[in-house]
Amino acid sequence: MKRIVALVSMMALLALLLYVVASMPTMGDAGNPTNASEITKYYLENAEEETFTVNVITGIILNYRGYDTSGEVTVIFCALAAVLAVLGREKRGKIYAFADRSRVPSSVIVRTMVAFLVPFIILFSIYTIMHGELSPGGGFQGGAIIGASMIIFTTIFGLFESSQRIPQKIRFPLEGSAFLTFFIVGVLGLLGGGNFLTFAWPNISANLQPAVALWLTIFLEIGIGLGGAMVFISILFSMIREEEDVTAAA
Amino acid sequence: MSQLLHNYQYAAAMLLFCIGLYTVIVRRNIIKKLIGLNIMETAVFFLYISLGYLNDGIAPIRVGGADPSRMVNPIPQALILTGIVVAVSVTALALALVILLYRQFGTLDVDRLFRDEDEAEAEAKAGAEKEGAA
Amino acid sequence: MGTTLNLIFIVLMVATALLAVFARDLLAAVIIFSVYSLIMALMWQRLQAPDLALTEAAVGAGVTTVLFVVAIFKTRRREEEEEE
Repeated sequence: MKRIVALVSMMALLALLLYVVASMPTMGDAGNPTNASEITKYYLENAEEETFTVNVITGIILNYRGYDTSGEVTVIFCALAAVLAVLGREKRGKIYAFADRSRVPSSVIVRTMVAFLVPFIILFSIYTIMHGELSPGGGFQGGAIIGASMIIFTTIFGLFESSQRIPQKIRFPLEGSAFLTFFIVGVLGLLGGGNFLTFAWPNISANLQPAVALWLTIFLEIGIGLGGAMVFISILFSMIREEEDVTAAA
Repeated sequence: MSQLLHNYQYAAAMLLFCIGLYTVIVRRNIIKKLIGLNIMETAVFFLYISLGYLNDGIAPIRVGGADPSRMVNPIPQALILTGIVVAVSVTALALALVILLYRQFGTLDVDRLFRDEDEAEAEAKAGAEKEGAA
Repeated sequence: MGTTLNLIFIVLMVATALLAVFARDLLAAVIIFSVYSLIMALMWQRLQAPDLALTEAAVGAGVTTVLFVVAIFKTRRREEEEEE
């Protein structure tokens, strides 16, 4: 009964939405209200001169609309904080539960290929982070790729091995690094004589401005990439970890 | 009608959104509902990016003398990048809550989770009556 | 050529979304969802958005799918409950 009511309401909603689509302007038309607006032309033409990055989208998210990106890294940090509040972290120096130590049974071929591939994937992700302003890529993409490579490693080799590689004392300070980077760049903007989170400092001479903007962009990318990677790895470790059974671990 | 055929990508986004919404409403398992939520989110992103498309457009990267007047609109792409990050954060948090829910209650079926209170009351009442009669 | 490719991708997306919704086995539903994510990443490239294609590929196939699989493994549910 519930299914038939849901199906009928979905059909009604779909008909209403398709009616709206039929009265929208044509897709891809150059005279669209979204494509013919002034701010689009301004961003496309002036992005390279003002932000000194070749990739227009990196220029937009780090320079023109940097506040939105700082909100995004706050969201990802809050997700990590909530996951840790719900599932808990392993305590320092505690003996791992027995199930965490056992390796996943897998063949020699899989283990060799994974051990061979993971360094190259991490190298590729560092390349993606550093080339954020010259090609498609950026901080967050590189962080997600590092997270994916550690997920592969953890799946094949077990939680114990990969916690040895990235222990608590590395993860703990670096999880909040994304937002800290934004805060540092913002305060530097204030010290340079402009507004908060600006890249154009009036206090220094004009021929140093491109270097300053580039260095700040790279610093931000590395901060976002590292912070995002650590957040994903910590979420994965919290979810995979077996529940602590005190009698089994003692 | 011909406008609907021209805007076939918008129509596809609406269809995917309705499929995701149907899943969230009808399916009883929580993980199925989360899959439906993700389908809804990606359908909205699809609609948003298709709005900024230009016929025979090129990617907004100014390299090799690319012509800025032929580039697709970069602003929706910058906004949806943030949207994808928020979507994956919401999914990760929801899955952590699912694990906790299973540890606490032993079931992931929404009907059983909601019915437990009434059933527990009915069982308690039946047990009390039996004790009173015995 | 361009329109035909877009239409093929859209048909594949709708088909995999429907299959992921109506699959009884939760593990199969999650794997089909990762295929949907991959085809969505290809669609972003067709719409000339390379940053989004990278992000969707890394996040959809790398992170979201594995988190789903870990959650299914932890809750020890292979089959969805029977409908009424």
